[in-house]
This record gives sequence, structure tokens and C-alpha cells, in this order.
Amino acid sequence: MTLFHFGNCFALAYFPYFITYKCSGLSEYNAFWRCVQAGATYLFVQLCKVKKLSLSRFFPGIELCLFVSQEFMKSTVDLADLLGLHLVMSRNAGKGEYKIMVAAMGWATAELVMSRFLPLWVGARGIEFDWKYIQMSFDSNISLVHYIAMAAVVWMFTRYDLPKTFRLPVTVLLALCVYKAFLIEWCFVVRLSWDFLLLSAICGFMIYCLLGLDSTDPPVLVRNHVSVRKTIRICV
Amino acid sequence: MQQYDLQGQPYGTRNAILNTEARTVEAEVLSRRCVIMRLADFSYDKYQKALRQSAGAVVIILPKNMSAMPQDIVQQFMELEPEMLAMETIVPVYFAEEDDELLSIYTQTLTSSSSQSSLSAAEVLLHTATANGFQMVTSGAQSKAISDWAITSLEGRLTGVGGEDLPTIVVVAHYDTFGVAPWLSYGADSNGSGVSMLLELARLFSKLYTYKRTHAAYNLLFFVSGGGKFNYQGTKRWLEDNLDHTDSSLLQDNVAFVLCLDTLGNGDSLYLHVSKPPKEGTPQYSLLKELETVVASQHPEVKFSMVHKKINLADDMLAWEHERFGIRRLPAFTLSHLPSHRSAQRSSIMDVRSVSPSSRHGAGEPPAGPHVDVSKLSRNAKVVAEALARVIYNLTEKGASGDLQIFTEQMQVQEEHLSAVVDWLTAQPRAAQLVDKDSSVVSTLEYHLSRYLKDVKRHYVKADKRDPEFVFYDQLKQTMNAYRVKPAIFDLLLALCIAAYLGMMYLAIQNFGLLYSVVRRITQPKAKVH
Repeated sequence: MTLFHFGNCFALAYFPYFITYKCSGLSEYNAFWRCVQAGATYLFVQLCKVKKLSLSRFFPGIELCLFVSQEFMKSTVDLADLLGLHLVMSRNAGKGEYKIMVAAMGWATAELVMSRFLPLWVGARGIEFDWKYIQMSFDSNISLVHYIAMAAVVWMFTRYDLPKTFRLPVTVLLALCVYKAFLIEWCFVVRLSWDFLLLSAICGFMIYCLLGLDSTDPPVLVRNHVSVRKTIRICV
Repeated sequence: MQQYDLQGQPYGTRNAILNTEARTVEAEVLSRRCVIMRLADFSYDKYQKALRQSAGAVVIILPKNMSAMPQDIVQQFMELEPEMLAMETIVPVYFAEEDDELLSIYTQTLTSSSSQSSLSAAEVLLHTATANGFQMVTSGAQSKAISDWAITSLEGRLTGVGGEDLPTIVVVAHYDTFGVAPWLSYGADSNGSGVSMLLELARLFSKLYTYKRTHAAYNLLFFVSGGGKFNYQGTKRWLEDNLDHTDSSLLQDNVAFVLCLDTLGNGDSLYLHVSKPPKEGTPQYSLLKELETVVASQHPEVKFSMVHKKINLADDMLAWEHERFGIRRLPAFTLSHLPSHRSAQRSSIMDVRSVSPSSRHGAGEPPAGPHVDVSKLSRNAKVVAEALARVIYNLTEKGASGDLQIFTEQMQVQEEHLSAVVDWLTAQPRAAQLVDKDSSVVSTLEYHLSRYLKDVKRHYVKADKRDPEFVFYDQLKQTMNAYRVKPAIFDLLLALCIAAYLGMMYLAIQNFGLLYSVVRRITQPKAKVH
């Protein structure tokens, strides 16, 4: 409701990204510009999605049955997100975890800047106080985790040495990622209120499964992180 | 609250914009805050207390259903209205009609205002940090004087038969209303009843005048005046124009009398207010006598009397409309069911079309607040019509008994017509500041008059440039927005919470390894299965 409140929401939304960037060791790899590239890919994919959506409106006869509603069609277009992530990761040479983190960070930051900054700037600075701005900032935190998970799942999907037994769960997780928004709407009528605990639960669940399934690739983040810290200690 | 200057004297508030936090009267600190009160809790002391503590603004919430209010509150408010206007106020005062959202805003403000004094310090701190405050902001501009406002009046006539120099009878009623808030003043009884009675008389007498046999030897002049509540500005200027500035006018030659109709929609008594008791042998005297006769023989339940009040030119405002004519030496009276011109209901926003009887008061008590009872209005209309007819046709001299009723059957006073006119009039506020010359009220009245009368003309009054008799100000109706705000401490608390959350997150990411090994231990059985 004032500039101070805007500052609060801004801090709540941006600092986790900042912390993640610093602590995951990406800064050591000079990954800043790669993240920016990932962000540019995000913009491009969004434009394509908009185009696809408008095209799909010209085909109104796609109503197969009652369950296949407009929202489902719109969520299907989010498959482009997965393709975009895959594109970013394939262009970045390096270890698996590096690719995942760069893609996810760039993607999530671009989404944050595009979709959250303007509402916060306009709304949080006004006279009226509304809880939704705090919720929006929390939501950006959750989407960071969500995109990391999504990038990891996409990467796993494209690995050629993935055991056969993992194929199905990974595909299911992928589908869950894409249709997350649709499922939330299906379960609840109210959109952005305090029921985003469900969102966080879904994301947590995804990471859980991810970590459980990921026996081929031992803790990537941990290993990398530990090595970076050792390097810092040596330098210092 | 309206703002105007009359004869150099300012009335009402001088300010229209506000941007302040809301509080109710129970709060301790009222300065620079907007005080919200409900009509049920309203009293003059509370109002003065708010103003003494230099409150930023006052908003009074009026209930949707005025008739549910107890009569003493309605009466008290009616009497306070002119006092509030006369008091010099520099803060804006607004009246709002209650609805659910406004009521919820009020109750929330009430809980936060009244709990400030009774809790311990920690509770107070917690309360102030989490309370929901409201910021009231108006969206309009500061009020300024409206220049070149024209008050419209309408006249029409029925010419008598029998050559030149016929005596003229003038029937006058003012159509504008008055109240503490112009957009809320519907003025049913005062003076919607007068205007509807005038239209009904015009209809009946024009019917009589169409036939040669009943065409009388009197000219009938009907005048619907504007600016009546502002010391009869419309009538004043009309008289000046007709008597001073034109060569020949019906008003100059031979006026039998002027009958002003003011507040006749209720009550069981009729008072004829005069400034000089009529002498025997004059037409005024015969009207007085005829009224007495008609009331005595046809409507014995009505109490009729004459009230004599001398014109006091030293007063700020004239008492009744007939005094304007009296000043110009034209014989005039006002007929009303109110015994005194000081009655509060003549200038109140509580004057509405109808009130439903309150169940609280039981069957015997009259409903609260002034309103129009159409059966009484039509009875009064009949009394006036009969008396006028007896004067015009000279019936008493010709030997007609008191019981003779002229207006029966086809010539009957139509209650539905009266009711429809009153309903239409009270459907919109008709304060003088709101009715300009293009207003629908004026054009509809003009149309109605021209159906029955000839030579329907408009007459405009504009305030004099150098020494204005009246000045109206605008910004009478505003949209006020209430924004939900949180106190500043809340922001600090929130900042602390966010700092704590970010700290936790930093620690979690720093020690991600620890977290991961814990999770791994839990999911180990799962992995082993795969």
C-alpha cells in the first residue's frame, strides 16, 4: 500500500532467486549471460504460445467431450514450455546439473520479470492493501522450485541412458508439470488465495519423486556445491 | 451538506474534498480523521464534539428504511438540519444511504475505534498491527460557486369571459425542495403536495371554462415558482417583472386575491395564513367565508382557522409565499396544514413520499416522519376547489347551501391523478441547485400546464452580478472511495517476517546437503525397490 509494502513484496519475490543463484554455484561458471539467453528463449516461447492459442480459437469444433474444455486446450499449449526448456538445455554444453540450473534460473527469472513485476509495481504501491501481492510473491518462489523440477524432469526424459522402469513415472511427472495450473483450477474454484499450499505440495512431491528416482545421478546440486565451497576455501 | 449564500449570509460547509482515515465517534483521537456516524446514534453533542476536535470530515449514514426509525430520532434530526446549515463549518459533511458494504465498513471501523482504550499494551500493539483501517477519499474537486444559475418558474392562465378588466385570481405553488443534503431532499409534502394540487385545480377549472355556460367572469392565473425555499426568489422576480417592467399585466389591473398552496398533503387541519386580516366585502373575505362554509358542512373532521402574522421585514427569511405578494400590496394568503412557518418538516430530507407504519409503535400511533397521505390531499384539494368555485360563481349570494358539491362524478377530484403527480415529483430531488432550465422536471411541468392552460410561459431568475441574492455551490454529490489500509506497524512486522523467511531459506540452501541426506534416508527403501 506504500512504497515500503512494494519493497516488502519485491524482497520476498526476488531474494530467493538471488540466493539460489549465488548459492548454487552458478556464479562461478559465469552463467549470467546463459541465463539471459534462457530468458530470451522464454520470451520467444511465450510469443509462440500466444500465437498458437489464437490459432486454436479458429477451430471451435475440437470439443471432443465434456472434459476436454478450453482450459485443457490452453494447458496443452504449455507443452511448448517443455520444448523451450529442452532447447535451452541442449544448447548449453556442460554437466547435467549445470544445464538444469541455468535453464531453470533463466526461465524462472524471465517469468518473474515479465509477469510479476508490473502488477507489483502498480498494485503494491497503491493506497489499498490486498493480501494478493504477498501471495503473488510467494507464488514466484514456488514457481522457481517448480521450474527447477520441470527442467530436471525434462533433462531426465531426454537422457538416453535412463532405465526403462523410469520412463513411465518421468512421463507422468512431465504431464503433471504441464497441467499443474489446470489441475489446480479443477480442484478449486478460487484461484490465487491461500490454497497455494497445494501448489507447493505438488512441487515438493515432484522433487521428492525426482530425488527418489534419481539413483543414477547422485546429489548433483550437493556435489557441485560442496566442490565450489572447497574451491572458495582454498582460494581464501 | 449543501453550501449556499443567501442575501450575503453563508450557509453550509465550505469544503468538499477529503482524504482521511475513518473513525467512529467512540475513538479517542478524532482530529484529521473522517468521523462516521449512523443516524440512530446521531446527536448534536456528538457532532459538535467531532467538530471541536477538528475532525477532517463527517459522514452520516442514513438508514435505507426511514420509517423504521423511532419518531423522536426523526424529529430531532429534522430540527437539527437548519442548525447544522447555519453553523459555520469548514469540514465537509456528507450523508450516505446505507447498504451492506457501508455497514460492514462502519462495523469494522467501530471495532477498531472502540477497542483502543480497554486492552493491555501488548494486545493494543497486536491489534493496531493487524487491524483493517479505511481511508476515505473523495474523487471530485473542491466546491466552487456556480455562476449564472437560472431558476425557472412557469405561469399559465385561463381567461374569463366578459370583456376587459376582469378580476384575477392567482394560484401559486413552489415546486423546489430543501434539505440539509440537496440530492436527498425529495420534498413530498413540502411542496410536492402543493404542486399536485395546483395541477389538479388547473385541470378542473379548465374543464369548467371550456363550456360557455360555466365560463366565469374571473381570470385564473396559475404560477409554479422556483427558488421558493430560498426566500421565494422566483416569485419575487416575477412580481418585479410584471409590476415594474411591463406595461400591462394581469397582476397590475385587478387582482382579487392570491392563494398560495404550501404543504397540504397530510394532517386534519387547515390554516389560512394572512398578513392582514381581510376586510368585509372584499373578495379575500368571501374566500375566507367560503372556506369556512365548505369545511363546516362537507368536511366537519377538518379544523379550519385563520392565522394572522404580520410581515416582519427585519427577518432573514420571509415566512410564507404570500408575504412576497403582500409586500407588493397584493392581497394574498397561504393555505397549509402546518400551523407555523417554523415547522421543521418544511425543509427536511425526511420529507418522503410515504412511510410504512412501524410495527414497533403499534396500530394506534401515526408513522414517523412527514409524508403525503393521498386521501387527505385529495380531500384538501376538494375543499379548495369547492371554495374557489363558490367565490367565482358567487354561489352563496345566489343562495346555494353549504352542502352543494360541485366537484362530483365527472368533475371529481381524481385521487389517482394526484397520487401519480406526487409519485413523479418525489421520484427525483428537486432542490433549487439541481433543477436548471433544461431539467426534465421543468419541461414536464410545462407540458402538463399547457394541456390545461393557455399562454404557458417560462420565467427565469438569475442572481444579480454585483450583489447576488443567492449563490449556489457545486460538488453536492460525490463518490467517496474507501480503501482498506493497514497501519504502518504492519509493514514493519511484515518486513521482519520476510527477513526471517529469507534467512531461513538462505540457511536451507546453504545446507542443502544436510537436507538432502535426510530426505535420501527416508526415500532409501523406495530406491532399493527400484
